Amino acid sequence: MLVFDQLNKADKHLRVLSWVVVLGLLVLLGGLWWVQIVRSRQYVEDLRTQSYRTVRVPAPRGKILDRNGVALAENRPTYNISLYLEDRSWRDAVQKRYKQTEAEARKGATAPRKPKVFETLLSHFGYKPALTQPRRLKTEERAQLGRTARFVVTSNIVWQLGEALGQPMALTNESGFHKHYDRRRALPLPLVPNLNADQIARFQEQGTRLPGVDMEVQPLRVYPHTNLAAHVLGYLTRTEESVEDELSFYNYRLPDYRGLSGIEASMDDKLRGRAGAKSVLVNNLGYRQSETVLSPVEAGKNVTLTIDAAIQRVAERELTNAAGAQRPVRGGAVVVDVQTGEIIALASAPLFDPNDWIPFLPMATWNTYTNEDIAPLQNRAIYGNYFPGSTFKILVSLAGLEAGTLVTNENFRIQSPHYVRGHAFKDLASPGEYNFRRAFIKSSNGYFIEQGLRATPERVVEMAQQFGFGRKPGLPLQESPGLLPTRQWVRENRRGWSDVAAGNLSIGQGDLDVTPLQLALAVAAVANGGNILTPQLVASVRAPDELVESDQVRPRPVVRDRVHVSPASLTTVREAMLADVEDPEGTAYKPFHAGDRPHIKTFRVGGKTGTAQVFKGEKFDHWTVWFASWAMTDEPRYAVVVMVDHGTSGGGTCAPVVREIYRALEYREQRLRTAQKEVLAIR
Amino acid sequence: MFTFTQPERQSRIEWFQLLALLGLMAVGVAFIYSATLAFEANALPWYKEAFTRQIVWYVIGTAAGAALCILDYRSLARWSLIIYWITIVALVLVLIPGIGTTHGWGARRWIDLGAFQWQPSEFAKLGFIFAFASFLSRPPDELRIPMNFFKALGMIALPFLLIMKEPDLGSALIFLPMGLVMMFVAGVPARFLRRLLIGVGILVVLFLVDVLFAPPNWQIKVQDYQRRRLLVYFGSDYADKKMTDLQKQAARTLQKNDSYNVDQALISVGSGGMFGKGWTKGTQNALGFLPRAVAHNDFIFSVIAEEKGFMGTALVIALYAVVLFTGIHIAGQARDRLGKLLAVGIVTMLFSHVFINIGMNIRLMPVTGVPLPFLSYGGSSVLCSMIAIGVLQNVNLYRRSY
Repeated sequence: MLVFDQLNKADKHLRVLSWVVVLGLLVLLGGLWWVQIVRSRQYVEDLRTQSYRTVRVPAPRGKILDRNGVALAENRPTYNISLYLEDRSWRDAVQKRYKQTEAEARKGATAPRKPKVFETLLSHFGYKPALTQPRRLKTEERAQLGRTARFVVTSNIVWQLGEALGQPMALTNESGFHKHYDRRRALPLPLVPNLNADQIARFQEQGTRLPGVDMEVQPLRVYPHTNLAAHVLGYLTRTEESVEDELSFYNYRLPDYRGLSGIEASMDDKLRGRAGAKSVLVNNLGYRQSETVLSPVEAGKNVTLTIDAAIQRVAERELTNAAGAQRPVRGGAVVVDVQTGEIIALASAPLFDPNDWIPFLPMATWNTYTNEDIAPLQNRAIYGNYFPGSTFKILVSLAGLEAGTLVTNENFRIQSPHYVRGHAFKDLASPGEYNFRRAFIKSSNGYFIEQGLRATPERVVEMAQQFGFGRKPGLPLQESPGLLPTRQWVRENRRGWSDVAAGNLSIGQGDLDVTPLQLALAVAAVANGGNILTPQLVASVRAPDELVESDQVRPRPVVRDRVHVSPASLTTVREAMLADVEDPEGTAYKPFHAGDRPHIKTFRVGGKTGTAQVFKGEKFDHWTVWFASWAMTDEPRYAVVVMVDHGTSGGGTCAPVVREIYRALEYREQRLRTAQKEVLAIR
Repeated sequence: MFTFTQPERQSRIEWFQLLALLGLMAVGVAFIYSATLAFEANALPWYKEAFTRQIVWYVIGTAAGAALCILDYRSLARWSLIIYWITIVALVLVLIPGIGTTHGWGARRWIDLGAFQWQPSEFAKLGFIFAFASFLSRPPDELRIPMNFFKALGMIALPFLLIMKEPDLGSALIFLPMGLVMMFVAGVPARFLRRLLIGVGILVVLFLVDVLFAPPNWQIKVQDYQRRRLLVYFGSDYADKKMTDLQKQAARTLQKNDSYNVDQALISVGSGGMFGKGWTKGTQNALGFLPRAVAHNDFIFSVIAEEKGFMGTALVIALYAVVLFTGIHIAGQARDRLGKLLAVGIVTMLFSHVFINIGMNIRLMPVTGVPLPFLSYGGSSVLCSMIAIGVLQNVNLYRRSY
């Protein structure tokens, strides 16, 4: 063979030469084996790190829907104008500018030189040569020229863009521009965010010829009904952090949002989806060449709430316009399905607009939102400390009935004001003879203070505890537990019960705080026969492409507790509550009737008004007014509670709000019935 | 495999070598095309593209090689001294600023001939081989005379020093193995060669120690970039302990820039793996990490390695092996000392180029501007290599049977 023949040559010199060549080629082959096979992995790694940049791409956030599929929070496309730095025309423009400035700079670049011999001689005769010579530009000088060229070209483009869009624009943030160029060259430089329709049209007409400038679309959170259910939905904030179990290392991140309150916060992990990663191939100058998707974006899941947007809207509108309340109205309203515990509406006033947080919240808006007196961000339906006032008489009645100390037809002679150990309790009800029913519907303080004392405050508190007061109801939102003076609490904070304190308890004041939701769940338990339900706000969480079953299954109630109260006692209280609305003597008769005809025809409504005095120190400050109610057709259906923090009276301020909510519920039921009929007719 | 010790009467053209050469030329065209594919100014018409120019050079080179075969190498050798002195004059001319051009590279290696730039150092190698072969083809007894040995040394030293002056260390160094091997094969006494080797070795070691370790004012004046190339090759740290942090940082940046080509070539070769990324699919060159100025000439091998992997590089080495060993075979078949020495000189020259260039791509050798024969883009290199093959074929063709 060719090679071996040479290696065994008779000619010694040529044999040696053959061996040298063979060994040389084998050395090369061995070296290549080492580099290309043995160490290949490391070089592939090096190649990746120098030519790829990973970018985190946030997933489109899931929608938040009401129970009928109305979108309360969704995404809209936003149009942004960006500068693509890898674009040839931009780079050419920069290069041209650089060449010009460099030529000028070269002319000015001189260095001192030594005088030549003849010049030294001539200088004695007054000859003054210019002792400079042209020199090369230093690397730093070139770099600086490049920076200036990039900035000047870009700011010209921005100015032209402003011309095209019809609004003066300037690239002012020079250091920001250089920072972007140095560190994020593979990503486009955002110039104008969030274009409006007019700007889009103007840009498409005139702006597209600008070098490197292009429009891109990004999904952005939008709340189409602005402030509707704002407190339930919550709001977002821009974030930089990664969620668990995604790639933790990125060269760059695109803007992402995280829920900061409401459902947006508590269901954030579901709504957010999984961020994807793309890898951008860059060239040796760091400009983008192409992109590949490393891991695809997984869109966030849609969250369907039990809220009915129509009812929610009415509740918010009526609450905000509540009569006889200090403006802006501060209050809360809750609508619960008493059979299932579904929250149909959860309103708080005043409202705010979660859209204000997108793309970021201006400082001025933040200041109005954090005003301590108004506190629009506080969800008053579930968060805050409010005296329940006379609505607490429902619990006093049950405690008395169960203890046997309250006999419904026993008559009491009640004075006004009512004195307990020298303390005068004011009474809005007139003095006179009161049995249970009359005392309940006229809300006699004296009667219930006596009944509370008879039953003992411990029993009243124990009853309230059974009905869920003093603990969080369990919504996936920020809730207050309220305050209930349990035995332990009294032992730790008070020296036992005084009669005055006990009297105050019976009329829902003093060491007692509740939220509208707690009261609504308690009323629901009275209405449904003693089931304390866990409130349900989230109906389902589904991937956006998941099919939704056509028949909406009525959700199962989650019974948290059953109260130990005899059906007879519950019936007695229910009848008293119905009388409060239906008896012309009742505190809530007027708002529910036009003359003697009821406003609400398909429901029977039972309720209890409440008007609590709130003191600041020793001084009276304002009234917290309530109307706690439930409604039934042939079975109990809804519990509705409305609270207004600076109102005039439960009957005057809150009961009309509740009435309008029932009207809306009535309309909703009608609609459901017709829809069902239509479905049946089709079948 | 078939045998190549053909009967005397058969054709004396070494077809197998020409076949391997054709293979190398095909590889060259393909990968120069791939290496220049992503050029920024890719608006060139096809006939101005690098690969078409390369094809033209292959054609011209083949013609020149064939033309060389018209005359017997013995007749050619009569002109050898004249050729040698013409190349020496060219090497002197290239140093004169008005005549030699730098191509903007800092080294004065080219003579501008209008249509193309001529690199005389390439042809000086051929001239040297002819002159040295005819000088050494005298009877072996004469080679024992020290005076002749010193004459031979002078013949090597003259072009060597002139090319060093350009400066083109790589091309200059090629003269050492060529001279040594030719003297060895010619039968110059081993003791002469041993002393020469030891002398050169000591000089090289002293030079390296001086460049790498001596304090600045003790160093021999070499071009700064040459010193830095050596530092890169030996992996020495640019930064000095005495330097301030700022200076150290600057030194490190400089080091990174200097070792950039080698690092990128290594990444290209290494990331090719076993089978490579496929022709024209290499990213190192397309994305500009492998500098575009060198991808198609000095570093063409790393483009081949990235796109065709170890299989491709092994094939290239096999093709070179065929060319080299047919060359040695021709040397063995030669019936006179002149022919044998010519063939040996050519083989040594080609082998040195291959070894230095490929070695440079895998950091076995320091970076020098030595082209890869037949594959690197460049007229002088291609023409010179093709003429070299022509000389080999000539020696085979005009073999006299006694």
